[in-house]
Amino acid sequence: MSTATVKPKAKAMIQDNTRCIGCRACMVACKSWNDRPEDKTDFFAGEGYQNPRDLDANNYTLITFNEVVTGEKPDWVFGRQLCMHCEHPACASACPTTAMFKTDLGPVVFDESRCIGCRACMQACPFIIPKYDYESFAPKIHKCTFCADRLEVGLEPACATVCPTGAISFGDRDDMVTEAKRRIATAPGTYIPEIYGLEEVGGTSVLHLSSVPFEKIGYITGLPKTAMPDLTHRWLRATAPVFAVLYAVFGALNWIVRRRMRRQGHEGEHT
Amino acid sequence: MNWRIRLTWWDNSLLAIMALGAVFGLVRFAAGIGSIANINNAYPWGWWVGYGIMTMIAIGAVGFTMTALVEILGVHRYHSFLRPAVLMGLLCYTSAITMLMVELGRPWKVWLVLVSWAPTSALYEVGWCAFLYLTVLALEFAQVPLERLGWSRALGILRVIYIPIMLLGVTLSHLHQSSLGTLMTLIPHKVNVLWWSDNLPLLYLFSAMMAGPALAILEHLAAARWLGFAPRMDLLAGLARIEAWVVGLFLAFQMSDLFYRGAADAMLSASWFAVSFWVEIGFGLLLPLALLLMPEVRESRRGLATACGLVLAGVLLHRLNVAVIGLRVRHWETYVPSIGEIGITLGITAAALFAFGWLARILPIHEEFSPPQTSPRPSAQPAGALQGAKGILT
Repeated sequence: MSTATVKPKAKAMIQDNTRCIGCRACMVACKSWNDRPEDKTDFFAGEGYQNPRDLDANNYTLITFNEVVTGEKPDWVFGRQLCMHCEHPACASACPTTAMFKTDLGPVVFDESRCIGCRACMQACPFIIPKYDYESFAPKIHKCTFCADRLEVGLEPACATVCPTGAISFGDRDDMVTEAKRRIATAPGTYIPEIYGLEEVGGTSVLHLSSVPFEKIGYITGLPKTAMPDLTHRWLRATAPVFAVLYAVFGALNWIVRRRMRRQGHEGEHT
Repeated sequence: MNWRIRLTWWDNSLLAIMALGAVFGLVRFAAGIGSIANINNAYPWGWWVGYGIMTMIAIGAVGFTMTALVEILGVHRYHSFLRPAVLMGLLCYTSAITMLMVELGRPWKVWLVLVSWAPTSALYEVGWCAFLYLTVLALEFAQVPLERLGWSRALGILRVIYIPIMLLGVTLSHLHQSSLGTLMTLIPHKVNVLWWSDNLPLLYLFSAMMAGPALAILEHLAAARWLGFAPRMDLLAGLARIEAWVVGLFLAFQMSDLFYRGAADAMLSASWFAVSFWVEIGFGLLLPLALLLMPEVRESRRGLATACGLVLAGVLLHRLNVAVIGLRVRHWETYVPSIGEIGITLGITAAALFAFGWLARILPIHEEFSPPQTSPRPSAQPAGALQGAKGILT
């Protein structure tokens, strides 16, 4: 269902967590391409060796370190957080100034010059991705851009170019969906039969694969399979007709009230 | 005309709170939102939006509910409540806009909302409607000072456009009061099942309508006390009976919505959500409803003040429950409003109260009270409301 709405050139990325070794080269590449400052890190910021605890204004992607019991022994299972670049982004639908929008190639991007700082996108995001630099005088929304500027000139996202184990694949979304399905079908023992992002909130441009259930590696699960903006569209598209009907009804009632008063006034019964 | 008033200890207390709020406001603009506020990446809205914007707009519904009651439903005996109601609406919306300017990360860009086209955004609709309605409120209220200043030409124009403008105000209010709820329908995964509903727009609209008459009653009692006139207990009792209906209908609507979407079990869960829910329902709806159904309460100042105060507190808690308390993002993330966040909202609220107290003493807001040292109001406008009953006749 979701694949039917994809624009022809739309790109996507596979994050194959079964191939991730937790080297965090993607995080480094992301920082350098997006010019984010370094963080002071320490061991055990999150669970185990994860660093930092969560995405923030300086970190647009994050490898999560999850201790999961697989078989008989506990094991590191890595997950990755980054903007999912939804096919029907809730953040963009919530933005009152269209500062957040989805490009034809797939990235959901942020135009700083149009932002008023209402943070509706942060509140709207089902994946809790957009972050804010609250300390700044002119704060910005910070999140993964899918390296939209690189995509424009035919390059891959920075993270995809550096992964040493092929955990990050990039290409047309249709091909990526096929590829993700192929991997699950050819190695059913390695993967759980689920593509995170294929149907979540109407489909996303980042498709995650895993060896364990996604809720065990810090993913937000149980999300609806339908596009989030529909929840508000149902009401908002009624705005113009409701306005017209209410104005007419109130006008008619007011006219009746005034006529009644005028009559009462003439009869001297006005109270 | 005389703009001066003698400051009472009440005025001085309000001025002190305003000064405190201004200090926090200065810090916010000098050192950024992060310097004084606890809002964070998981809870980007918090108390500023829950109280400063959502609750302020909800109780600002007093302007349109009283206008609709008198001008559209034709219950003309409440005509004298119109001027205070419109002034309160004007001040509530001004407070909300002021709050917005503090809360936005880039307030100097807020005008972009008015030159954008974002029909998918509930906030876009709220922004436009609130902006237009603030203009409507200003035009409606402008008649009062213009009358006092004797600017008859401007007054004449306002009188001519009053009815279409008034209708526009009531219509816009229906739209943006509900759109504030639409805003929250987008995040079913974050708002607790007790409060998230497909019908949040209607719940927001109806609860705002419930706040309107409650604030009108409370204001009349307060004004009677501080301006020294006898409250119109007959009118208040009637308004309280209407309020009882509205509270009862809202309670029925909220409960049937819960049962209809199968979330009633959550009412009995052992969680802080359920506690907050029952405080909202018990003290904000059931108790005031029981009080308002008693004739002796409807005829007593203290009883009315208690019942209406509870209704307003209930609306505040509803907004907080939907937008702050009922929100869970991830288990390790928390939000409690900071002193600075609360300080700024207190300052804004104190400013609104101060402005109301000042204007109520220098302008003919209340029919029962004539500002001193000024000539009596022209007899052509005896009804004392926005457009006197006789003004319609001519």
